[in-house]
Amino acid sequence: MRHIHPAEKFAFALTTMIICLALSTSITSLLVILLMAGLVIIAGRIPALFYLKLMFLPMFFLVVGVLTVAFSFSPKDTYPFLWGFKLGGYALGVTAAGLATARELFLKSLGAVSCLYFLSLTTPMVEILAVLRNLKLPSLFIELMTLIYRFIFILLETTEKIFISQSSRWGYATVKTSYFSLGQLGANLLTKSYYHSQMLFTTLLARCYQGNINVLEKPYPLSGKSIAMFTVAELILLALGLWFKA
Amino acid sequence: MRWYVQLKSKPILEAREISFSYADGTQALDKISLSIPRGKKTAFLGPNGAGKTTLFLHFNGILKPNRGKVCYDGREVRYNHTSLLNLRKNVGIVFQDPETQLFSSSVWQEISFGPVNLGLPKEKVWERVNQAMAEAGITDLRDKPTHFLSYGQKKRVAIADILAMKPKVLICDEPTAWLDVKCAAQTMELFDLINHTTGVTIIFSTHDVDLAYSWADYIFLIKNGKIIAEGIPEHIFYNQRLLAEAELDRPWLVDIYEELKRKGWVASNVPPSTKQELLEQIREKNVMVTND
Repeated sequence: MRHIHPAEKFAFALTTMIICLALSTSITSLLVILLMAGLVIIAGRIPALFYLKLMFLPMFFLVVGVLTVAFSFSPKDTYPFLWGFKLGGYALGVTAAGLATARELFLKSLGAVSCLYFLSLTTPMVEILAVLRNLKLPSLFIELMTLIYRFIFILLETTEKIFISQSSRWGYATVKTSYFSLGQLGANLLTKSYYHSQMLFTTLLARCYQGNINVLEKPYPLSGKSIAMFTVAELILLALGLWFKA
Repeated sequence: MRWYVQLKSKPILEAREISFSYADGTQALDKISLSIPRGKKTAFLGPNGAGKTTLFLHFNGILKPNRGKVCYDGREVRYNHTSLLNLRKNVGIVFQDPETQLFSSSVWQEISFGPVNLGLPKEKVWERVNQAMAEAGITDLRDKPTHFLSYGQKKRVAIADILAMKPKVLICDEPTAWLDVKCAAQTMELFDLINHTTGVTIIFSTHDVDLAYSWADYIFLIKNGKIIAEGIPEHIFYNQRLLAEAELDRPWLVDIYEELKRKGWVASNVPPSTKQELLEQIREKNVMVTND
């Protein structure tokens, strides 16, 4: 989906997310999840298994968060528990309403996540940044995002290098050395990052840096066809969502 | 035959008695005076920590000498905004580690940074970016994210970064460091081409005596922040005492040539500057022997 205008994809992901969050019904969220998965896997040609793995990433946080919603407790045991037990003077358990809220919340979050996945899997960071720049976000934010995004990879690479060099010298052979090595890794990462940012500043200066990171944006033609397709998809989604809600 | 430097032509960059110490007290440059010949390929040779990079940072106005002057095109560099921008527009540095130079996650955007800073109109910037990518042979990488590039590719992007600014002087800090043989050869060919077609002055630092001998027009030997010798490669590399002082090996071409000459197996009295020239001299001698 590289040829589609980044702003179109951005708008599509955003409106879908808003619909998903606003309607807040399980069925709408489920539709969003399926729609996005379909688009990413079929149109975006991202391997299905890879996408599935990505979807599992937020699962841990979601499950933990949702569990606390599903459980309710009360001082009386008159609560309509589907399943519960007593702890001291309190009753702890799962109610039908709690379970429904949890399910809704779970699907809603997953729906929102899949909207973001759609954006990040089909649109390179540079293009997302270009959209944000066109939305007149302050250049400080954009520049920070540019640098942070680039530095994430440098940081990962540096971490990997240090880790390899440590483990190849038995740095992680025992629990004790592991703790020590990990501490060293963290500390060195900090100094290395600092050095790196200093060097980057120097190299930018050498190229006439004057306080603003100005770069070119690629011109993308807006396509009526994809805008129409996205609009139709949104309308169908909205209609289905409202229908199910009613 | 190799070209001989005419020092009479106005040098493009000059250092006049520049000294520089880092904040921790290390003296990196010690009263260096030198002139970089215009339109030529100049190499700086010297051990690690000799002051090569520090000197290069002075040429681009990143560092300001504690004492002494840097002159570009006969004019002293004043360390004000306009003067510095003018210097940095004309003198471009390709840094040794491309990782520290690339800030953008897209190749074409990365290359556009310099020309945009020069205040060129958009179309002109695109033209420069495309041209620089073509020259550096990275047009096929244009849409790749920088973090997926190999080291050699990153190096080429770093070079294109500077080419897009069309400097009069291109400084490259260890252009062949960590590159495989093919990549290194391509890089040097690229510099040759730029120097040949547009007359850009090329300055580079290296530890590779063979490279410097065959490739450079003019050589500076630098050690402990001082220039210990300068001259055309034939003068530098046939001087054993000098090489020993600079802790450098002799280029293999020089060794072989001297040995062959001693045995009378080469025809010419002119030291060859490339492998090709040496082979030709040996073949010529063969022809002479068979004709006798």
